[in-house]
Amino acid sequence: MRLNTKNLISGGIFILVAVIGLWLNTDHTLGSARRMGPGYMPMLSFGLLGVLGAIVFLGGLFNGPDPLARWTRLEVMAVPLGIVAFFAGYFIADATGLFTGWYPLGWGAFAGCLALSVAPGWRPIGLVHAGLAVFGLMLEQFGLIASITTMCIVAAFADPTHRVKGVIGMIIFLCVLCWLVFIYELDIRVPVWPVFLTQ
Amino acid sequence: MELLIQNLAHGFSVALSVENVLFAFIGCVIGTAIGVLPGIGPVATISLLLPITFGQPATTAIIMLAGIYYGSQYGGSTTAILLNLPGEVSSVVTTLEGYKMARRGRAGAALATAAIGSFFAGTVATIFVAASGPLLTSVALSFGPADYFSLMLLGLIISAVLAQGSVIKAIAMVVLGVSLGLVGTDVQTGQQRFTFGIPELSDGIGFVTIAMGMFGIAEIILNLERPESRNVLSGNVGSLWLTKEEWKRATPSVLRGTALGSVLGILPGGGAALSAFGSYMMERRLSKYKHEFGTGAIEGVAGPESANNAASQTSFIPLLTLGIPSNAVMALMVGALIIQGIQPGPRMVEAQPDLFWGLIASMWVGNLMLLVINLPLIGVWVKLLQVPYKYMYPAILTFCAIGVYSLNNNVFDVYQMLAFGIFGYLCSKLRMEPAPLLIGFVLGPMMEEHLRRAMLLSRGDAMVFLERPISATLLGIGFIALATMLLPGLRSKKDAALQE
Amino acid sequence: MPGILSRRLLLAAAPSLALASVARAQSWPNGSIRLVVPFAPGGSTDIAARFLADGLSQRLGVTVVVENRAGAGATTGSQVVADAAPDGQTLVMSNIASHAISPTLYGNRVRYNPVSSFSHIAMVITNPSVWVVNKDSGINSLADLVRMAKGKQGGLDMASSGAGSSNHLLIVRFCQQNNIDFTHVPFRGAGPAMQAVIAGQVPMMSDSLPSAAAHIRQGSVRAIAMSSAERHPSFPEVPTFREAGFDLVSTSWFALSGPAGMPAAIVQRLNRETRDFVSTPAAQARFAELGGTAGDMTPEEFTAFVAAEVERWAPVVRASGATVN
Repeated sequence: MRLNTKNLISGGIFILVAVIGLWLNTDHTLGSARRMGPGYMPMLSFGLLGVLGAIVFLGGLFNGPDPLARWTRLEVMAVPLGIVAFFAGYFIADATGLFTGWYPLGWGAFAGCLALSVAPGWRPIGLVHAGLAVFGLMLEQFGLIASITTMCIVAAFADPTHRVKGVIGMIIFLCVLCWLVFIYELDIRVPVWPVFLTQ
Repeated sequence: MELLIQNLAHGFSVALSVENVLFAFIGCVIGTAIGVLPGIGPVATISLLLPITFGQPATTAIIMLAGIYYGSQYGGSTTAILLNLPGEVSSVVTTLEGYKMARRGRAGAALATAAIGSFFAGTVATIFVAASGPLLTSVALSFGPADYFSLMLLGLIISAVLAQGSVIKAIAMVVLGVSLGLVGTDVQTGQQRFTFGIPELSDGIGFVTIAMGMFGIAEIILNLERPESRNVLSGNVGSLWLTKEEWKRATPSVLRGTALGSVLGILPGGGAALSAFGSYMMERRLSKYKHEFGTGAIEGVAGPESANNAASQTSFIPLLTLGIPSNAVMALMVGALIIQGIQPGPRMVEAQPDLFWGLIASMWVGNLMLLVINLPLIGVWVKLLQVPYKYMYPAILTFCAIGVYSLNNNVFDVYQMLAFGIFGYLCSKLRMEPAPLLIGFVLGPMMEEHLRRAMLLSRGDAMVFLERPISATLLGIGFIALATMLLPGLRSKKDAALQE
Repeated sequence: MPGILSRRLLLAAAPSLALASVARAQSWPNGSIRLVVPFAPGGSTDIAARFLADGLSQRLGVTVVVENRAGAGATTGSQVVADAAPDGQTLVMSNIASHAISPTLYGNRVRYNPVSSFSHIAMVITNPSVWVVNKDSGINSLADLVRMAKGKQGGLDMASSGAGSSNHLLIVRFCQQNNIDFTHVPFRGAGPAMQAVIAGQVPMMSDSLPSAAAHIRQGSVRAIAMSSAERHPSFPEVPTFREAGFDLVSTSWFALSGPAGMPAAIVQRLNRETRDFVSTPAAQARFAELGGTAGDMTPEEFTAFVAAEVERWAPVVRASGATVN
């Protein structure tokens, strides 16, 4: 057997999405071919996705080899750790009662991405996304400038060649640029400075 | 013919007034700028700028807004080529070959091709709008729901067939895209589907959110993972201008793209995106350099860029002749006209000749301006690639984050983009192409709408898709395209062509 | 580019200087006012809101910024305002969808009460629905429509700009009253629906007057009935439903509301400025072109109006079969 690992996994993803989709779709009425209900098109598309996923999966048993890059032990460990950290972050933030709206989700994403970054190989994906999560967490309370600064600092760790001076210069440049473009020109509705300072 | 020239002359006398030229220029500059900025699209910008236009004469206002629109279509291709960031649906195709060209050190040539192709297509399309606009409207009107459905199905088949790698996986990605497009409120019943009770999802997942996540953010991570390849760019930018060989290859593609785009642009909904994809497929079939597709073939930039620009011009036809907006930007134009006290519709040609012909003439003026603005800028844009990547990526990240937030002023969109970034990274590791997913996502909801409407009107008789000649023809083409790709003999040829 | 964009600031700044003394007299308005439009830009609510924002900016001496928060039948944006501080700095363009239909349509997904969660300020514009038919459909009156619908198996195809819109619900009410079958063909917005009627794919459509007005004037479609109580001054040749013998009156409306508990003085001031503005000749002329009528209600009258609308639409929404759950 010449296993095509990539196709096996992608086929598996397609099948998984199709099964979840079809299961969720049981809430929706199918209707008839004449008067299609909200569930008709999802039934067609998720059904087709499942069939295609199965073809990709079965094909993957023979048309390889196409293995994934080898993972180090730390990288293997970091994935479940990241997932656990995501849910822990979400539920802890939610349970404290201090955070409402999307903040628990943001904390979860932040914790998950940071945990993933313990493995050096996952740092690009982990830290870039952690930066985004921080941006989401801070933007509406701490304002644009603080959010950009923090996001860039977090994301800068994704590239080991960054130096402190360069990062500072880059952040100042970006803050000025974003203020000019988004605040001065486009006037988007977002606080520039921390809300608790301006009110 | 004489009348046409007379009308166009009148149009130019309106369009070339100092004020109108000035505002066409301003519109083009703003449009290009927002096209380059990820996230901020023409819809958001035009709605922001609408109040300014209250104080202007109607013609001037519309000329400026039109400039923003086609400027943004053009600007979107700049980021698609340089950063693999498609800001607009229609520039998704440009990333396929344009970004590869940039990575090969031909960013200048790709940008120049896009600029020149767009200008040429814009010129032809302008004449096309002036000469045959009213006539063609009746063609667009004869498209019923069944025909639209078949057209979109054909579009999806095309996008899967022309993707790199496994056709089956590409089709699966299209279907996954269609499925993602189902999230949100069902148009016909108002029922919420797959929203998990999240109000933010009731209008569906945003196109920009998916595009930024799967193309922009995922690309950052992939680039960070391979420091060696990204530095090639800074060392070797290459000539800014096209070589003789490139001219020879691009010219026929531009001609074909212009023709296809002009025709498809008239159809309401998805015209620009469909024509760009259609043109890409056509080039891929017809090119003598099939083996270069996927590694930066100039035909893959020239054709689609011409097609989408031609389509964005001809998409004014339904607005100007019927008063029916073919996309969100055109809907805003209707709003702007109504605020000015002008009802867009068939009588606009007679009632508002200044506006009608002035706008058409200004399209050409605007295209000329885009060329003038952008050709000298190519050097500047290419210089941007020489900025060390470690300083580039935080900037891209920042612009994506703010851009996505500003869509709805909601951080949930930032988290959605985050999720699609991770998913996009996973996809590229598993050789699952994101481009077919995106086009499925865009066309899927429209397809469902037309499917359901067609079946409703035919009282549940699926034969309607084969009985209508337009629909039957389109389905036939789709079937042939699919069959040729799946038949073993032809398929191995394609694989060989792709593997170079 | 900077110079041009800041024209917007200038536009806002000029009147604010002139009215600075007025503004200083009270602590409100304190900085720019946010006017949330619960629909996407470009629609009729958005057009009305931007027009009002422009007028109020000049009268209040501060910028009134339009913010589009579309989604969930206009409830997303309305919810934002219901949750905002009642200081008069955040207002919503309330309308028949967000404050009369959607609360029933979306049921317990809507956390606000359309009446008590808001301080209702002023009616801005009302407009009737109009029924238009394809030129070659052979339908010349509502009576023709009923006859044709009864003769056709599965009922007549009737289009509207969307499920759960006031135009759709008007079709439901009409067909219930007359015991006729119909097939509702919903579209995404009025534009595509109008196109289908012009092309003859669907014989008739129930549309808002502002979006249909141009097409009626151009003669690309034929108007057979208007849902106002009396004939519309801009379209005196189109009969009302009542005249044709069908007891139906329906108007859609766009209005100004804020969060519950706004100080009465601010509500009164906004009410006065809005009514003054919409009754200026310029505004009246614009509204007439659109086929709308400027509103003229006190805050109390308007609050009672909203309450009555919710009551009136609830049974129709339930009967329409349009649901979100």
